[in-house]
Amino acid sequence: MSETVVKIENLVKRYKDLIALDHFSLEIKQGEIFGLLGPNGSGKTTTINCLLSLLAFDKGTIEIFGKKMTPDSYDIKRDIGIIMQNVAVYDELTVGENIDYFCGLYINDSKKRKEYVEEAIRFVGLEEFRKFYPKKLSGGLLRRLNIACGIAHKPKLIILDEPTVAVDPQSRNKILEGIQQLNKNGATIIYTSHYMEEVEQICTRIAIMDKGKKIAEGTNEELKKMIKNSETVNIDMFMIPENALSEIRDLPHVYSAEFENNVLQVKCDGGTHNLIRILSILQNHELKFGRVYSELPTLNDVFLEITGKALRDSD
Amino acid sequence: MWHNFKYDFLVCLRSKDVILWMLLFPVFLGTVFHIAFGNINASNAFEAVPVAVVMESENAAFRTVMDEITAGEEPLFTVTYADREQAMKLLEENEISGIMFVDDSVKVSVSGLTSGTVINVKKTIVKSFAEQYNSTAAIIEDTMKTDISKLPSVIEALSEQVSCNEQLPLTDGNTDNMLGYFYNLIAMVGLLGSNLGVYMTVDNQANLSPLGARRCCAPRRKIASMTSALLARFAAETICVSVSLTYLIFVLGIDFGTKIPFVYLAGILGGFLGTSFGFFVGSIGTKDGDTKSAICIAASLTCCFFSGLMINTMKGMVDTVAPWFNEINPAAVISDAFYCLNIYDDYERFTTKIITMLIMTVVFCLGGFLLTRRRRYASL
Repeated sequence: MSETVVKIENLVKRYKDLIALDHFSLEIKQGEIFGLLGPNGSGKTTTINCLLSLLAFDKGTIEIFGKKMTPDSYDIKRDIGIIMQNVAVYDELTVGENIDYFCGLYINDSKKRKEYVEEAIRFVGLEEFRKFYPKKLSGGLLRRLNIACGIAHKPKLIILDEPTVAVDPQSRNKILEGIQQLNKNGATIIYTSHYMEEVEQICTRIAIMDKGKKIAEGTNEELKKMIKNSETVNIDMFMIPENALSEIRDLPHVYSAEFENNVLQVKCDGGTHNLIRILSILQNHELKFGRVYSELPTLNDVFLEITGKALRDSD
Repeated sequence: MWHNFKYDFLVCLRSKDVILWMLLFPVFLGTVFHIAFGNINASNAFEAVPVAVVMESENAAFRTVMDEITAGEEPLFTVTYADREQAMKLLEENEISGIMFVDDSVKVSVSGLTSGTVINVKKTIVKSFAEQYNSTAAIIEDTMKTDISKLPSVIEALSEQVSCNEQLPLTDGNTDNMLGYFYNLIAMVGLLGSNLGVYMTVDNQANLSPLGARRCCAPRRKIASMTSALLARFAAETICVSVSLTYLIFVLGIDFGTKIPFVYLAGILGGFLGTSFGFFVGSIGTKDGDTKSAICIAASLTCCFFSGLMINTMKGMVDTVAPWFNEINPAAVISDAFYCLNIYDDYERFTTKIITMLIMTVVFCLGGFLLTRRRRYASL
């Protein structure tokens, strides 16, 4: 069994009358890429700030590497890399100097630090920009610099708080690939985002948050199994008579069939050959249809089914 | 600690605000002051009075006297020897301020078409000179007629300037009022260092900036991190004050006296005072850096106003109404240290000013450290 890297128990954080974290608990094992998914304001960043001992909390305990985390836990902090939501670099220092500065907060040996800085520059692909000042970098490159500053000292635990906000697709892919590479190199990752596609793509385990609470936790597959929906069939067509719709609703594993905006949407809770059975009914009624496509459930469906609202609608 | 210091120092020196407000602005303002006050001093300088001398009969004594007073760096007269007609023409054309007609005595004509204060002063000088010459000559002539043996003692007595009032200089230093502007300019550079202090706090507090939050995540003691950041700001401020002082003293030639090392000491300590003031202000509340910086700039310029940066008599006025304010106004304390060195020539008072600056610096630093000692925040 893997060692527990982060353990949060019953964390409560209040801002006057607002409960930002409501008895939030979490356990992250070594080697995981753990995703904290939730809409803006769900408590992801608050959790990270409490985890880093930046934010005082009202109740609960936090342990990292098996030790209680406090502001003076320098031995723990030494092994943590943090990539903040807001880019935190000095405008007056070049790319190389910024990375050296932040790396130097953790690594005293200048020779070793020089190697680490070079590795970090190569890792984020900023070799050509090492003499550039941050203001000369694009949003994507700036995010990469932010990441390099956070990981240069080779931490065992890396916390990335929404690292891809306002980043172009190319840089986003580069960042996501980089995170997976860091994980392969041995680092445990905590990744917060409100982009479910990113979380689905890279995270080995996911906790979904809403209003300061953990509403679900598990692997991508486990989360999707928690909900009724296992397949959604969409068929573009002009009309469908009520008797045909009733036949579809009566099919085994179909729990919802609705026709709206010239699209027939059928939701199934399992089974096989659902699509073939639906198309047979349409053919039997000699109904014409256009595009047909089947969707597997997403984390948004998980969020929707648990909270009654879509993840994106909550932003 | 050295690592932090090195990069904090680099950040300060590359900051556009520092370059603009603490290096370029004082140099610019110093140059403007120098040009403006240079013209004022030039217009106040004494100019030799142009006169014509008409020798109606030869007077060797008069010629000797004229040769004496027209020689040297600051001659009283510029003399044109001419005949009566030429002299009258020169007077009519305002080329000269008066004509001296010399035979046994000196008669003066200053009538002309000119008017105005300066011209009248010049005419008065010509008249006064003639009157004094005539009375002196009469005394000497009278002495020669009555008792020639007393002549040497009479001449000696006449040579002495007799005054009913004794003039006692308050100082050997430069009493040029305009110097106050330059002293206050350095005080301003020192106090504008408060900006450095403000942004130092912002960059180290997790609840004030992402950089602050990032730094707080590092495995470094906060007190050590803040101390190295403060020392870096002190070093940057030392450079800014030194550049300004060097420019004023060695490029513009402003008279800061002869005790130059002490001048630098006072200026640099003034910079420390300003930086620590900013550190203290930056540590209060959760307003953003720009707001706190604006507060510091406003406070610094107000202090400089009351110490005479804009009106050089202001410090004197404050001294009559609220003398205690000059004792606690950082700008007044800094500029006073320069006055002590160059004008009052008073080491005891200078030491008091230095100690006052040090006490203020320590108080502001302690306040800053106490206010920023928090390591966890209620909100970010």
